[in-house]
Amino acid sequence: MATTTATITLSSTDLLSDELSLNTTATLTAAGNSTGLTLASGLSRKKVAGAHGQYTLFDGSAYTADKAHKVYLKNISTTAAEFFLITVNAEDVGRLYAGDWALIPWSAHDNDCDIKIDPSANDMTLEYMLFIDE
Amino acid sequence: MATTTAAITLTSADLLTDALSLSATKTLHKAGSTVGLDQTTGMTKAYLTAVTQVDIFPTLIEGSLAFKNKTSWVYICNESEDETEYAIVKLSGNVIGKLYGGDFLWMPWSMAEDADADNKHADIQLTPSVATGMWFTWCCVNEGTEYPTSV
Repeated sequence: MATTTATITLSSTDLLSDELSLNTTATLTAAGNSTGLTLASGLSRKKVAGAHGQYTLFDGSAYTADKAHKVYLKNISTTAAEFFLITVNAEDVGRLYAGDWALIPWSAHDNDCDIKIDPSANDMTLEYMLFIDE
Repeated sequence: MATTTAAITLTSADLLTDALSLSATKTLHKAGSTVGLDQTTGMTKAYLTAVTQVDIFPTLIEGSLAFKNKTSWVYICNESEDETEYAIVKLSGNVIGKLYGGDFLWMPWSMAEDADADNKHADIQLTPSVATGMWFTWCCVNEGTEYPTSV
């Protein structure tokens, strides 16, 4: 098994009167046990040249259902107005604007549980990585 | 405006042949701008003792999603130390994934109307896997929240 860790740090000195300083580390493990995930898509980048439109990033039917997959996404654009709309199972999750990143659990619970990406402009590049639970 | 940053590091020495050492940091901005987010729900710590589905941000108003497509960021952590205990995370009734003990998520939330029109608005829902008690923490940093009018 492999040991992969994800650490998030949320910080602000002026969002609240008190300082926000949150630090959480998770080891990426398989569903219901402490075995580290051993498969991954590799860190990748995808750019849709020309006219932009929604595309399927991960097909729910291609991965074992009801598992503890994890998805990392980042919009590498530097134009503040450019975003990727993330949908899971055809439901809008949210928008990743320039520089934004996300780490989302994905259970691929049925064949319709695709992760789809809709760029707001042409030639935008998404960086992504899938940590796969067998 | 406030300056709030979200940073992640993903590391592994043995997942791949090459070491994984990824870092990303982002200041949280309002939609399409470089103006910092200035509102938050604050950090909630909750002990859930039933396997029933709960709406963790119960302020979305039916038919009036004033902050639809604005920027909201959601952090949820399953604080359980038991790796078999999980919570199902849903958005508008659709399963996103499961957070097992120790797992966290960080995701944008556009508060969009439910695609299935089943009146769940844009709710983020948690369903614990056990009724023996599970600790969670969650917060939302956003552009704003429309609160229901008191009756």
